[in-house]
Amino acid sequence: MLFSSLFGAWIAAFLTLGIFSYLFRDNPFYRIAEHVFVGVSAAYWAATFYWTQIYPNLFGRLFPIDGPFNNFWVVDKGHEFSIIYILPLILGIMMLLSVSKQFNWMARWGIAYTVGIAAGLKAFGYLKSNVIEQVASSALPIFDGNTPWFAISGNSIFNNLVIIIGTVSALLYFYFSKEQKGAFGKVTRLGIYFLMISFGASFGFAVMGRISLLIGRFNDLINFSTADYNYATIWIIIFIVIVLGFWSFKNPEKSEV
Amino acid sequence: MEKLENIILKLGSIDRRIIFLIIGLAVLIPLLRPVDLPIRPGPSSQQVYDAIDSIPDNSKVLISFDYGPSTRPEIHPMTLGVMRQLLDQNRGHKIYVTCLWPDGLYMAKDALKTINKEYTLEKYEDYVLLGFRPGYEAVIKGLENNLRAVYTVDADLTSIDDIPMMEGINSLEDFDFIFSGSAGYPGSLEWVLYGPTTVPLSSGTTSIQVNEVLPYVQSGQLKGILAGMPGAAEYEALVGKKGIATSGMAAQSYGHIVIILFIILGNLAYFIKERRERKY
Repeated sequence: MLFSSLFGAWIAAFLTLGIFSYLFRDNPFYRIAEHVFVGVSAAYWAATFYWTQIYPNLFGRLFPIDGPFNNFWVVDKGHEFSIIYILPLILGIMMLLSVSKQFNWMARWGIAYTVGIAAGLKAFGYLKSNVIEQVASSALPIFDGNTPWFAISGNSIFNNLVIIIGTVSALLYFYFSKEQKGAFGKVTRLGIYFLMISFGASFGFAVMGRISLLIGRFNDLINFSTADYNYATIWIIIFIVIVLGFWSFKNPEKSEV
Repeated sequence: MEKLENIILKLGSIDRRIIFLIIGLAVLIPLLRPVDLPIRPGPSSQQVYDAIDSIPDNSKVLISFDYGPSTRPEIHPMTLGVMRQLLDQNRGHKIYVTCLWPDGLYMAKDALKTINKEYTLEKYEDYVLLGFRPGYEAVIKGLENNLRAVYTVDADLTSIDDIPMMEGINSLEDFDFIFSGSAGYPGSLEWVLYGPTTVPLSSGTTSIQVNEVLPYVQSGQLKGILAGMPGAAEYEALVGKKGIATSGMAAQSYGHIVIILFIILGNLAYFIKERRERKY
C-alpha cells in the first residue's frame, strides 16, 4: 500500500473518531477535527474555484495566447480573447474591497449584480417549474370514467381527492385576511394536518439521511481497521479513549443549570 | 402499573450518551455481521429503471455527479447502478459525465474506475468525463444554451473538438436522457428548474431531499427518483448487482427501529410525567 493512502486512512480515522468524540462531551479531539475541517474546507473551495473558474474561464479569456496582453501574461486554456470579461474582473475586485473601510461601498455593486442575476434566473425557473407545472399537475380529474376508485399509489379517484383537498386546505391555512374559525377554521385545521404529515415525512427522511451518513463513516472505519491499514481505527480508538478518560478525570464536567 | 410507569420514567431520563451508544451499536453490528434483508423495488425506482430501459439504442446519456464523499454511501450506488444498466444492455449507449460539485469530479473518477474494471470500455468512444464547472444553476443554463462554450476541454484538458463522441453535441437538447445523482444544491431541483423540458430527466437523491423533489415526479417533470439509501438498494436489486446500499439497508433498518423505540419511550415518559405533575 502507498504511504499516502496509509497516511490518509490514519488521518481520516482520527478526524472521524475526533468528531464522534463530541457525543461524549466537548473535548480537544473534537476541537482539533472541527478546526481542521473548517480550515481545509475553506482552502479547498478557494483553491478549487481559483483553478477551475477564475484561472481558466476569466484569465483564460483575458490573457489568451493570441490576445493583446500576451506580452504581460499568458493563460492558454483554448479560449479566444474576450474584452467583456473585464467586467466580472472589475466587479470581483470591487467585492474584495469590502475589507477596506474607505472603499467598502464599492462591494455593493458586485453584490447587486450577483443578486440581480440570481433573482432573474430563479424567477424564471421557479415560475416555469414550481408555479405553472405544479398548478397544472394539481388540476386533476376526479370522475373521468377511466380512473379507478382506489390505488395504493398512482392515479386513482381517492388519491386525486387527497391531493386536491390537501393542496386547497394547506393553501387556505396561509390566508390570513379572514379569521380562522367556523367552517373556514375547520378547513384550515385540515390544512395543518396535511402540513404536519408533510413535516413528519421530512423529519423521517432527514433521520434516514443521517443514518446513511453514519453507515458511510462506519464502513470506512471498518475498512481502516484491517491489517492493510495497520489497524488504524483500533489504535486510534484506544488512544482517544485513554487520553479522553485522563482528560475528563482532570476536567470534570460541570453540571448544567 | 405503577412499577411499569417508573421503569418508563427511568428509561425516559436515560443519559443521552447511552442512547448514542445504542444507536451506534444498532448500526454497527449489521455492518460487521451482514444480514440479508429482502429488497423489493418501489414504484419510483421502477419508474427510473423503466425510463432508462425505454431509451432508444445508441443513446447519449448525461450523468451529472452532484454530490461529494459525505453522501457517497447513498448516491454512489445509484450512479453506478445507472451506468451498469446502460452498459449491461449492450445497446451502444454513450455516457457523458458532468459535475456541478467540485468533489463530484472525484466521485465520477471513482465510479468510472469501478465501471472500467467490470466492462471493456474505450475512453472518448463509450464515455467521456467532462468534469466540474462552477456556477451552480448558471452551468445548467449555459449547457442548455451552448455546451461547447462551457466545456471547451474535458477533465483531462483534451479539446472537446478532438473527442469523437462529442460530435453533434452542442447543448443539453442533444442528449437522450439526463440523470442527476444529487446531494443538495445544486442538484435535482436545479436540473428540473433550468434543464431542458424536452429531454427525459431522472434523479437519485439523498433521503433529506426526497420530500422536496417528490412533487416533480408527481407532475412528470422527473421520470421517477431513487430515494436515499433504500432507493439505491432497490436499484441495485433491479440491476442485479448488490453493493454497499444493499449491505447498508440492514443497518439502516435496525437503526430506525431503535430510534422509533426511543421516540415512543420518550413520549410515554413525557405523558406519564405530565399526568403525575397534574395530580399533585
